[in-house]
Amino acid sequence: MKVKVISRSTDEFTRERSQDLQRVFRNFDPNLRTQEKAVEYVRALSAAKLDKIFARPFIGAMDGHIDAVSCMAKNPNHLKGIFSGSMDGDIRLWDLATRRTVCQFPGHQGAVRGLTVSTDGHVLVSCGTDSTVRLWNVPIPSLMASDDSSDNEAKPLAVYVWKNAFWAVDHQWDGELFATAGAQVDIWNHNRSQPVNSFEWGKDTTISVRFNPGEPNILATSASDRSITIYDLRLSSPARKIIMRTKTNSIAWNPMEPMNFTAANEDCNCYSYDARKLDEARCVHKDHVSAVMDIDYSPTGREFVTGSYDRTVRIFQYNGGHSREIYHTKRMQRVFCVKFSCDASYVISGSDDTNLRIWKAKASEQLGVLLPRERKKHEYLEAVKNRYKHLPEVKRIIRHRHLPKAIYKAASLRRIMTEAERKRTERRRAHSAPGSMPKEALRKRRIIKEVE
Amino acid sequence: MMADKKRKSKDGMAQSGKKDREFRNNKRKNLSYNKKNKKEDASEKRRRHGPRLPNALRKELDVFNRTVEGEPSDVDERIDSDDAVGNDVYEYEEGIAEEESKKNRRFDTVENYQYELPEDFQDSDVASDEGEDEDNIGYDNENGNEGRHTRMLEEITGLPSDVFGGRKKKDIIITEAYPESEYNPSSDILDGDGRISIQDLLDPLHGKSGFSKLRKNLQRMNKKSVPTLAPLPKPEQERLERKAAYEHSKKDITKWEPLVKRNREAPTLYFDEDVDLGFSTIGAIASEFEPRTDFEKKIASLVNQNEVVEAHKKDGARLLELNKISVEEVMDRQQRLAKMRSLLFRHEMKAKRVKKIKSKTYHRLLKKERRKTAEAALQMDPEAAKEHAMKQEFKRAEERMTLKHKNSSRWAKRILQRGLQVQDEATREAFGEQLSRHAALTRKINSVKESSSSDDSSDDYDSDDMLASPDGDAKSKLLMKAKEKTLKVLEGDEELPKSGVLSLPFMVRGLKKRKEAADEEAKLALEEYESSLKQLEDPSASGSCERGASSGMRVFGVPKRVVNETSKKVKSDNYYANSDSEDDVEAQEDIVIENNQNDKSLREADIDPSLLREEFEISHDSLFKSFQDAEDPETKTTYDVAFLASDSWKKMRGSSDASKQTEASNHVRKSEITVGPMKHDQSFEENDDDCDTDSGGEMVDGILSSGPKSTYELPSQAELILRAFAGDDVQEDFDKDKEAVLDEENPEPEKPVLLPGWGQWTDIQKKKGLPSWMLEEHEMAKKKRNESLKKRKDAHLSNVIISEKLDRKAEKLHTKTLPYPYTSKEVFEQSIRMPIGPEFNPATAIGALNRPEVVKKAGVIIKPIQYEDMNVRERAETHKHNGQRQRKAKDKNQSMRKKAAKV
Repeated sequence: MKVKVISRSTDEFTRERSQDLQRVFRNFDPNLRTQEKAVEYVRALSAAKLDKIFARPFIGAMDGHIDAVSCMAKNPNHLKGIFSGSMDGDIRLWDLATRRTVCQFPGHQGAVRGLTVSTDGHVLVSCGTDSTVRLWNVPIPSLMASDDSSDNEAKPLAVYVWKNAFWAVDHQWDGELFATAGAQVDIWNHNRSQPVNSFEWGKDTTISVRFNPGEPNILATSASDRSITIYDLRLSSPARKIIMRTKTNSIAWNPMEPMNFTAANEDCNCYSYDARKLDEARCVHKDHVSAVMDIDYSPTGREFVTGSYDRTVRIFQYNGGHSREIYHTKRMQRVFCVKFSCDASYVISGSDDTNLRIWKAKASEQLGVLLPRERKKHEYLEAVKNRYKHLPEVKRIIRHRHLPKAIYKAASLRRIMTEAERKRTERRRAHSAPGSMPKEALRKRRIIKEVE
Repeated sequence: MMADKKRKSKDGMAQSGKKDREFRNNKRKNLSYNKKNKKEDASEKRRRHGPRLPNALRKELDVFNRTVEGEPSDVDERIDSDDAVGNDVYEYEEGIAEEESKKNRRFDTVENYQYELPEDFQDSDVASDEGEDEDNIGYDNENGNEGRHTRMLEEITGLPSDVFGGRKKKDIIITEAYPESEYNPSSDILDGDGRISIQDLLDPLHGKSGFSKLRKNLQRMNKKSVPTLAPLPKPEQERLERKAAYEHSKKDITKWEPLVKRNREAPTLYFDEDVDLGFSTIGAIASEFEPRTDFEKKIASLVNQNEVVEAHKKDGARLLELNKISVEEVMDRQQRLAKMRSLLFRHEMKAKRVKKIKSKTYHRLLKKERRKTAEAALQMDPEAAKEHAMKQEFKRAEERMTLKHKNSSRWAKRILQRGLQVQDEATREAFGEQLSRHAALTRKINSVKESSSSDDSSDDYDSDDMLASPDGDAKSKLLMKAKEKTLKVLEGDEELPKSGVLSLPFMVRGLKKRKEAADEEAKLALEEYESSLKQLEDPSASGSCERGASSGMRVFGVPKRVVNETSKKVKSDNYYANSDSEDDVEAQEDIVIENNQNDKSLREADIDPSLLREEFEISHDSLFKSFQDAEDPETKTTYDVAFLASDSWKKMRGSSDASKQTEASNHVRKSEITVGPMKHDQSFEENDDDCDTDSGGEMVDGILSSGPKSTYELPSQAELILRAFAGDDVQEDFDKDKEAVLDEENPEPEKPVLLPGWGQWTDIQKKKGLPSWMLEEHEMAKKKRNESLKKRKDAHLSNVIISEKLDRKAEKLHTKTLPYPYTSKEVFEQSIRMPIGPEFNPATAIGALNRPEVVKKAGVIIKPIQYEDMNVRERAETHKHNGQRQRKAKDKNQSMRKKAAKV
């Protein structure tokens, strides 16, 4: 008969150094631990509570502008740098780490409406209501950039004057074209003083333009005639247009899913579209209580941030109908522009109160270097929380947010209104001939038509 | 001219490339002209079979037909030609015919015969006419008339005569002098075929190079001669263009679909892969190095010497030359090294030797010397003095903070718990010492030196004690010390207290007695020390030496006897003393002693097991109690010497216990015991040892081992339970309970009752009883209840109650609705069934179980998606059998939380 003997070599449980952790041997037989689920539930609950306790998303504000911040641009090649343009024609380059102005770009006579940076991060393009497009050389961020000369002023590389005021500009990913939006959509080359191509479809002003980062030859614009238009540069022609019931203020392409984009609409919602099927939105992201002014996708493509006229910044899942997070402070006024940082860990908002604000993308995230054990612990808590997030108690805690009174009231008012509207249509439907009032999903309802 | 223009506008030809197209058109027109001609032939033939007409009329018609041969759409042209004809021959008739052709009904049918072709074909016909004309330009001679006419035109318009050539040719075609005459061979051709066909033009080319190619082209064009459509309006055109563009970009963008799908379905997205840390290699870092300190600069100057650098740049052979060292240098270096080594060695040896010296005095001297030098240094060197003061101050502060020496250590606590008195001398000494040390350390220092010296001395003492104790030495020393102490105790008369409780007469008596006992014991101990000392001295009796040494612990064999003897004596002395607490122990002790004396008779003793057990329980109990008593902190001053004999020290403790409570309890115990030992006085013994030590289990073992001899049998478990619950009927109780629960959860319907006096006015009513509907209702309710009872989960489990009431507390552990991505309850429950924590899973699995959906690193820029061909990738991966890939796949299987979202 064979006798089984517990045998362990001393190497297995002897520490090599005194700092090492003692190895613990466990019997993983589930029969020995019958309470594991309960234990994990409690852990999830406390993780959710801890998240609330540690939720301190606001990192800091960067002030220096003397008028509302109208637009921002992130440097795709440099994490710390962010450009902001204001309504008085001032453009600044900020250092996020120190939260100070690194450089200023004076020259615009009117409001700066659009900023963008080439993919290599060397050229900054700005445009504004003074009908000029200006190209600037971006100062190279040296490693020891600790000189306090905050009044660095740059000279434009080139100034291109054109016929109409500009509303937005965006740079092609990995190319040397950029597009401006104004009376029409113009495609420019860095080295030409005139647009290489112009598109005009309808007579209304285009108010935003965004290149598709995955598919660099496709761009989308929105115009004041409530339309969203898609252009294809390879065929140098517009491709498709949809007209919605309300104006779209901004558009962002999903950087990880080149077919999808999300439109920030005037009607407080964001609409995610598949560029191939424009007759209905993929998803409607509700929660804001006033017009959504700007939108930007996280580089991971899993979430996006929106800034709204209701003075809040919200973060949505790319497929979530409601926001995951809401940021607000007492002093933050209407948010005109938002950006996700290039490493997807911060959110920057520029608002009417002339400040830029830095937020954490995850409100309770621990900043700084994490030890492996810490990281594992965080991961575990996150996983447990994620697992039990459907249980009422955990869900309640995770979803709970303190809101400014105005927003809370506006939200409940909106809820009442939509509910009333729903009831009314339902009654109407009940009292009309069957089939005469077909139900229409919200995803379709807000689209008037798709124009070929 | 007009017609020409008209045609052109109809054609809608673009301005550019006009000539080419025109040329092609011409060819096509000619062909169609051919066709048309044939048809004309046919129609002419048919005409002959048409309605019969008088000859004169026919002649007229013939002429007319020939003139009208063209077509009605091109009337103006015809008119021109007719004009020309009229000029020549049939001026009068022609005019009439022209007019009549429109009006005369009779000719309508004829016209129909002639022109069956569709409208748009006519266009080309016209064109062909013209083309023909142009082709013919070169051939024909001009009439004088024609010449004149053109000249006139030339004069009027100012254009060259060539422009009007077309008209001339037409004139030629039609202006046949004698169309009917059979002598004119050409007239037939002209009349029948009408025009020259492409075939005619091609014939002369037959046999020349390129002919076959040309013919093929022609044939091809013949086959599919489709007319060009008119261009669409601009908005329409643009729309189509946009549509095409959209379709194209749609198709193009669809290529991302598999990639996106994969990303969406992946349990984890990784974005932390390529991290660029500025410097890639050590070389890169080193290249930016700049010497700063003097040393670095010197080295740099050496390294960057021109010669060396040059040597490096060349093959490096010169480096060796530069490296050359002279023999003297090497020797010198070697010698120096050897000297150093020998010095080191000597120093080491010296240190070893010093360390080996055991002499206390030597060390003391050494230390003193060291201290002296230090002090001298202190005096001489203010720096060192300061440092020293600082050190002292620090120590003091530390002491005040930690209270390390204020009996707060585990060791001190343990000793205090046990009682200082029971400790041995050395321990107590150490104890006192540490207190004094604490005092010294925490004392306010006036002069640094004082405290330091006291510290040092105490240190000395300690280290001396610790150092000088090889085994045998230590033992004998210990014994000597103990002996001294005992003597002291014996000699030193304790003063009896003069006041307080202790001065009361009975207390004094008690104290005296105790002192006596102590003296007794001390004497005994003295004896023992002597003997053990002797044993120690005797080199041969190593075994006994061991015994002596181990006497602090459990005692076996010979020493045990000694111990027992001592304790016996103690007992006998104390037996009738009024310190009651020890009584129980004593009782045992008695037994022990007796058994020791006659321990041979043990086995024979017949013991009633049950009695024994009882007895055991009691003794057991009491023993533990006494131990507890002993653990109480005590305040007594007697020295006990009993540390050698385990039994006796316990007893001593017991005896010294003066608290009332324990006394009372001991009284009780005593009474209990009194029965025990009487009954089986001789009974239990071999394990005297065991019962003295605190191992109850062994005692029981002992009993059990004696069990087989006894007649008593342990009752079975079931029997025991039966006996235990003999009084109550559990089953019935449970049934009642269950019924109550059922009633509560499914209440029984109330019996139907009428209001008293209601409906009972007459006998009949009374007889009838309750109205039927009431009864029915009651029946129904009963049925319902029975059904619901049957449906219960515990309906068939008579021994179980399963409550079906909703539990509020459990409610919060369940979701109200099925969460979004899940489609069935089972799947959802499965997904949260297995725990994911580190306590429940091996370390290798936790990583995968807890991995977040997006793994990224702060500070790493994430680039937008890059296109990669999925098919190619997949293939490569299957070849590779990449471990990570497999891991990911496993993840996918495990985590059910992801649902493939619509792409």
